[in-house]
Amino acid sequence: MLILLAAIFVLHIIGIILLLVATIDNAWWMTDTIATDVWARWELANGVWNYTDLPTGSHYPTDYLQAVQASSVLACIFSILGIFVFVAQLFTLPKGQRFTISGIFQLLSCLSIMIAASIYTDRFHLDESVGWYGHSYILAWIAFSLTFISSITYFVLRKKTA
Amino acid sequence: MLTFLALASVVLLGIVPEQTQAIVIYTGWERHALLGSDVRVSCFFFSWRWTSEDVTFSWTYRPDGSRDSISIFHYTGGMAYVDNMSPFRDRVEFVGNPGRRDGSILIKNLDYADNGTFTCDAKNPPDIVGRPSSVRLLVFEKVPIQAGVITGAIIGVVLGLLVLIVVIYYLMRFLVARRVFSLSVSKHGKKKKEGSQQRQWHPPPSSSPLLLLLSLPR
Repeated sequence: MLILLAAIFVLHIIGIILLLVATIDNAWWMTDTIATDVWARWELANGVWNYTDLPTGSHYPTDYLQAVQASSVLACIFSILGIFVFVAQLFTLPKGQRFTISGIFQLLSCLSIMIAASIYTDRFHLDESVGWYGHSYILAWIAFSLTFISSITYFVLRKKTA
Repeated sequence: MLTFLALASVVLLGIVPEQTQAIVIYTGWERHALLGSDVRVSCFFFSWRWTSEDVTFSWTYRPDGSRDSISIFHYTGGMAYVDNMSPFRDRVEFVGNPGRRDGSILIKNLDYADNGTFTCDAKNPPDIVGRPSSVRLLVFEKVPIQAGVITGAIIGVVLGLLVLIVVIYYLMRFLVARRVFSLSVSKHGKKKKEGSQQRQWHPPPSSSPLLLLLSLPR
């Protein structure tokens, strides 16, 4: 029982960490000389990495970019709130009840990161043949699946001991 | 007591600025405006002295890429003066209120050539030591979305909705519990407390008052 609890807790924490790395770390789209994420761009020039703003224009819509920023930040917030709610529910939930509220928070987090990653996939780097998706982007999708599994677990689990 | 404090503060305010503190001028940092629209360039100042009648405002303009400033507007002695040779000669209007330390001007019908830096210098005799403050004007065909506005709006709205839902949920619980409690007390009269300290809160079924009446203990 305790092992199950610890496993669920660790799963949630890993989800949070992946979400934070995806939002903060600079690797949504990479080429040999450029590392981009949703906030800014690093360009390699003469062996030195320079911090520049993201390009603006029709192939890089700012409003969609801000939607991606907002969604990924919201996903982190919901997941972090979810872990606190889970710990609170551990102590206050009556026996036999389900952890629905924690599940709802994780589900919202899952939804948000899915929205963020989907918008990014659909609207950015459509015509660029040079370059590949970086590890932050991949971690965003992995975090989506982890938070989904986590929320299903919370919806199914019942509290055994008081 | 209050009158004494008022008198004391008036006396102190008269005595303190023996050393003239500098006048502090506030304008914005940057103004963004649409082509063809009017823009109000604001200038406020703070001074330790009362606003005198000889307060003056002076606006100069330096076009982008140029090193020379030209004087475009001057306000003194209650009158506004505009230079007849400046590019703003019939487009600038004084919309400030010297009594409220406001020396703002309105520039009408903007053009791309109006991109530049506007400097406001205000003087409030005898307080004349101050550093002029500059605001940069940028004229756009379409005002760009400022960084982070949409992001902040989305995050704010979603979190606000969350807080609202939580508040409404607890409010509903509180109201329904109070209604159930007051209804049961009024029907039973003054209940003896020793048998009923534990008042469990049960989620009320759909027709709660009726059920409560039906389940009256004898």
